[in-house]
Amino acid sequence: MKQSTDFFLLEKNGIDILVKKFLEEHKVFGPIKPGHDSTFDEIKSPKELHLDYISTVLPPKKFFHPPTENLFSFELIENTEWTYKETLHDEKTVLIGVHPCDVHAILRLDRFFSEDFRDPYYLSRRENTIIVALNCIEPSEYCFCESMGTGPFLEMGYDLLLTDIGKKYLLETGTYDGKKLLDGLKLEKADKKDLYEKKKLLEQAKKKFKRHVNTDGLSALLDDDTHDWDIWTKLAENGYPGKSFPCLSCGSCSLVCPTCYCYDVYDVIDLSLKKGVRKRELDSCQLLEYAEVALGGNFRRDRRERIRHWLMCKFGMAAGGDKSGCVGCGRCIRICPSKIDITEVARIIRGE
Amino acid sequence: MENDYSPNIAFIRDITQETSNTNTYTLEPYDKIMKKKFSYTPGQFIMLSIFGIGEAAISISSDPSNNGFINTTIRNVGNVTNAIFRLKKGDLIGIRGPYGIGWPLDKAENRDILIIAGGMGLAPLRGVINHIKNNRDKYGHLEIIYGARTPGDMIFTYEYDDWKKIMDSTIHLTVDAVPYGIKWDYRIGLVTSCFPGMKTHPRNAIAFVCGPEIMMRYVAKCLENIGFNDDQIYISLERRMKCGIGKCGHCQIGQKYVCKDGPVFQYSDIKKFIRPL
Repeated sequence: MKQSTDFFLLEKNGIDILVKKFLEEHKVFGPIKPGHDSTFDEIKSPKELHLDYISTVLPPKKFFHPPTENLFSFELIENTEWTYKETLHDEKTVLIGVHPCDVHAILRLDRFFSEDFRDPYYLSRRENTIIVALNCIEPSEYCFCESMGTGPFLEMGYDLLLTDIGKKYLLETGTYDGKKLLDGLKLEKADKKDLYEKKKLLEQAKKKFKRHVNTDGLSALLDDDTHDWDIWTKLAENGYPGKSFPCLSCGSCSLVCPTCYCYDVYDVIDLSLKKGVRKRELDSCQLLEYAEVALGGNFRRDRRERIRHWLMCKFGMAAGGDKSGCVGCGRCIRICPSKIDITEVARIIRGE
Repeated sequence: MENDYSPNIAFIRDITQETSNTNTYTLEPYDKIMKKKFSYTPGQFIMLSIFGIGEAAISISSDPSNNGFINTTIRNVGNVTNAIFRLKKGDLIGIRGPYGIGWPLDKAENRDILIIAGGMGLAPLRGVINHIKNNRDKYGHLEIIYGARTPGDMIFTYEYDDWKKIMDSTIHLTVDAVPYGIKWDYRIGLVTSCFPGMKTHPRNAIAFVCGPEIMMRYVAKCLENIGFNDDQIYISLERRMKCGIGKCGHCQIGQKYVCKDGPVFQYSDIKKFIRPL
């Protein structure tokens, strides 16, 4: 439900008050910094929150579409008769400090998991989650959300939105749910000057990007089936000298990708052979087993076919369409052991 | 919230042995309402569940006039099918579906129908043949070309006599090889070796093809050569599916989901993704 936007100002330590308020009735998740890197995890007290982060290894996708989860548990009664019980999660949750690229990724997964057949596991979590987004002032060296139209500032998809405008945070409301979360808090109203400050910061942030990608006409180039397989062979088998090494098919890119949704389903049965669970686990089209069928057939046996499929998917040319497309978070570039850079691949395809 | 991942329960009412490693199972949904509601088009598939082992996508081999009974023809090739082969008459099995898009029977009305199947590929087409048999006046000439590795690998052999009696129809049987000592009165060769004796003319015909992907690509090419357009050819693809409902991603082929946009595709829609010969 879209509501008229309210603008507030929040002292830097005012975030603590906000988090405390959230913790009253919700589970709160946000970025923390346990070591060198930041990660999204549960926040039990406000001081754990580390909003001044660049990016996390895993995207917040993990809260809605976890790396592994139980679909249901089952129990054999006798012989072949059984009962089963679904495992749905509907805890009230607040996700704080989500960057615009990740919010856009969540919006895409929302569309994906609610079209045709609705996915009750994803949606029950999602419908009970409030998103407090955080605009990006400092893009990392891997970020290119500006080129993908998903950042650095957010215009949609948030319940509440924070922007660090120097000494204070600008707090904007996006939905009724977000607004309700602020009930009972005495907040300072923001004025025009603060909004101008935000606008200025946006312009500055846009100029800080080191990576750019031009996706114009990319889909038309890729859609052409006469298109050169040479690119994929080089990426997968030979590498591009000075740019990337051959792909290792490790699947890290899909694991860290905020829009990769593919999963595997399998049963785990306990030692009694009477009880078990059906689980789903994130999968990757980069892995050899992914397109395997009965009797050892495999529709994407070659590494080049697999890396092609993943990159096509990220350019919105797979079955997920733009819903599994790239949002420019840069995680796959950072994680790739072979230094394969999706923005570089786009340039190669475009012949730049 | 409705949960499409939860299987329903079905009884195994009958098991018919087709070949040494292939059985046809007759399933009856446990729930009376589900049994009544369970409607499908030949070519659609169901997800069969064995708890503790897993799920597999299996095509329906009966035609919808089967009074709520569902036939599935299964070859014992993997974990789930292996477990299914251990089940007996009266046992229970998990079932979800039907899913996907079946053969375009409406588009086939008043047209000549050419059915080309290889090996297990006859399973999803058996419903089409029996549907045409039961609604004979709606369709034109029916021609069936069925090939298998050996005579012993042919499925639904007990129905061929009935099929031969279908008015205005032709049936060709062919095998790759005949083991020593086996009597075989029909052709030896690929399914396409039956093309010279084919009665169907591409004009006003529709071709339904199912078999190994390499065979379908070759058949499609040969059909094109004799004058079929890509939009007159329908093929049914095989992929290992984990969900059956367009979420898990495993059955993706180019920009299509086999489970949701298929498994039956118009050849013109899918041609560029399966890289034709």
